[in-house]
Amino acid sequence: MSVDRDIVAAFVDGELDDLTARRIEREAVRDPALAAEIARHRALKAQLTAHYAPVVEEAVPERLRALLVGADNADGVDTSLADRRAAKRARFEPMHWGALAASLVLGLTIGLRPWLPAADVASDKGVLVASGSLADALDTRLASNQPADAAVRIGLSFRDGEGRYCRSFESATVDGIGCREGGRWQLERTQRGRAPTDYRQAGSGELAAMVATMMAGDPLDADAERVARDAGWRAR
Amino acid sequence: MRFEEELVALLPRLRRFARGLARHPSDADDLCQAAIERALKSRDQWQEGTRLDSWMYRITRNIWIDERRAAGRRGVHSAIDDAATQVVGDGAAEVEAGALRGDVDGAMARLPDDQREVVMLVLVEGYAYREAADILDVPIGTVTSRLARGRETLMHYLGEAA
Repeated sequence: MSVDRDIVAAFVDGELDDLTARRIEREAVRDPALAAEIARHRALKAQLTAHYAPVVEEAVPERLRALLVGADNADGVDTSLADRRAAKRARFEPMHWGALAASLVLGLTIGLRPWLPAADVASDKGVLVASGSLADALDTRLASNQPADAAVRIGLSFRDGEGRYCRSFESATVDGIGCREGGRWQLERTQRGRAPTDYRQAGSGELAAMVATMMAGDPLDADAERVARDAGWRAR
Repeated sequence: MRFEEELVALLPRLRRFARGLARHPSDADDLCQAAIERALKSRDQWQEGTRLDSWMYRITRNIWIDERRAAGRRGVHSAIDDAATQVVGDGAAEVEAGALRGDVDGAMARLPDDQREVVMLVLVEGYAYREAADILDVPIGTVTSRLARGRETLMHYLGEAA
């Protein structure tokens, strides 16, 4: 190879001046070993980027946001009651409206479902989406490799007619199907989850039937599922 | 923009950086929480007009390194990190590397701390070598050599990346 490995790394990292970068590009055309090395470096970078990208799309946990939203009192200065009320309102408002919107959506589309846990389902601009531990499970858990006692169990991962990735899931409180769109899991179908005493053959069957009507092609196998997860469930 | 608002806007990226360092999501968020608390306490030390993101990354990274060192002194030791130093291709290492193909978390966990943080800053967070050197408070040559070793190890474990 005509170029030193550190230079290849610097080239891929965008650290070379334009003149040198153009020289490397020209040489890569003539030198297959150099071209392969550049491709190897780019592939690693792409793999790492894709792997960590979903974290940025996750909802920031409330315990972190709460440290900063309404944190004017953090320096210990005693502020007026009005200020504190304003801070409290600021903290409360998004949650309040979210919950209200969620209950409206629920009420309008699938009837009143008081068993839906507020923590795992949220409303984003009027669309029901997974949040909290449900979103975590849909983001990260592989159907092929999940603890037997997981609170949320992933069923099948598949693509729907629009090319979106969708995953069926079951939990104690809610079962359903989430489809990846706009960096979140839209809940396309929901139904009551498995209560410990529930006889749930019928429920499982319904979910499987819904999956069957939505699925385009075959469900993802273990490898395809892993690849899709590592790429952040982005539809191609 | 207010200090807190800028920090809120930074949180998604900061969580990604922390996830790369601490690996487990809850540990990573604990790290973010500690970093935010320290930032709020020492906000006077941040100079307006300088980059808040670099300052936050530095705080986060320093807390993480302190914790790792304290854990090391307490004898809480990750066997995985020891294995990372000997990547050379004996049979066992090859088998292990095969098992890790595609497992970015597993491969990252096998990097020594000083290489993992450089890999995150440059390859994932997209900082220039100079900026990464400033965040870590090391010479730029140290960044490039740690990065080179980190890359080599990752390529070994992850194979020809997909």
